[in-house]
Amino acid sequence: MTHQEMKPVDTKQIREMLNRNKGKMKRFLSYCAHCSLCAESCFLYMEHHKDPQYMPSYKAINSLGKLYRKRGKVDRKLLTEIKGIVWRNCVLCGRCYCPIGIHIPSMITFARSILRSQDVYPQPDEASSESWL
Amino acid sequence: MFNFVQGQLVSIAVIIFILGLIYQGIQFFKLTKKKEWVFPPLPVKNKPEKKTAGQWMNQCLSSLNGTLWETDRVLTIVTSVFHICLIAAPLFLLGHNILLDQSWGLNLFSLPESFSDVLTLVVLICGAYFIGRRLFLARVRAITTAYDYLILLIAIAPFLTGYFAYHQWFDYDAVMTLHILAGEVMLITIPFTKLGHMLFFFLYRFFIGNEYSFVRGSRTW
Repeated sequence: MTHQEMKPVDTKQIREMLNRNKGKMKRFLSYCAHCSLCAESCFLYMEHHKDPQYMPSYKAINSLGKLYRKRGKVDRKLLTEIKGIVWRNCVLCGRCYCPIGIHIPSMITFARSILRSQDVYPQPDEASSESWL
Repeated sequence: MFNFVQGQLVSIAVIIFILGLIYQGIQFFKLTKKKEWVFPPLPVKNKPEKKTAGQWMNQCLSSLNGTLWETDRVLTIVTSVFHICLIAAPLFLLGHNILLDQSWGLNLFSLPESFSDVLTLVVLICGAYFIGRRLFLARVRAITTAYDYLILLIAIAPFLTGYFAYHQWFDYDAVMTLHILAGEVMLITIPFTKLGHMLFFFLYRFFIGNEYSFVRGSRTW
């Protein structure tokens, strides 16, 4: 077991981080109309044969959205799942387009910083392996 | 019950709608700050050249390049028509304006009743298209929850009941009560649910300066 997998999740810290940006992020999440019009603006979505899990909205809803829905009460398993979404499925190129004007990259960035606070981030060998792609 | 729905609840709904929007607007300005330019945009010295109608048209059409118009034309048309009709149909409906004139002295322009009926039908057809997308399109289904259907129902219910009431289908009084109630529910929920994009679309796309803003944008998060 790696150090990353052994460290307990500090839910209090996650909650504090979530509350700090609540005004902006909760608005972004709650005003997302789930229209999927952001899909084609993501090159990863286009490259992965239009697989819905690469849609910018899907990534934001299933990472930061989940953290807010669970009010930070998450386990390491979920954080590891979110790690795949925010690091493997998104390169933060900032090209995603939302017709309402929601800034999706800032949501992914915020989810990443929450994960980093819990020592959840891709290891160098993991990110360079073929399974990562 | 009917008197309450038709009377006091209308005022309550309108007040909640207006105060809710004001509250959300204030929150937006509290959460954002005035943009500080690192490199201030250069002032435009020359007056823009006068353009002919054709040049304007060309400029408008070329501005659509790289937008949703290119990726999904049907949805772009449907969503634009839906939102225009959603605002225009109830706002310029003769019946609504007579009531507004009688109760609050507001005198708005009214469309012919038959035209308003067509607009209502257009809203319903577009609504059916959105439901179809949610049901059958994998990428929309992947992010759809029961809440999305509820929001769509809240948006469409006033039009569906209004259409029934205009054509006097089913029990008129019951349909009319449902119609007024549906409208009130919609007004109350707009500032506090996804429907709030009615306000936030304009705030995000006009005030926040970024690549996709319609104008330069004077504020930042």
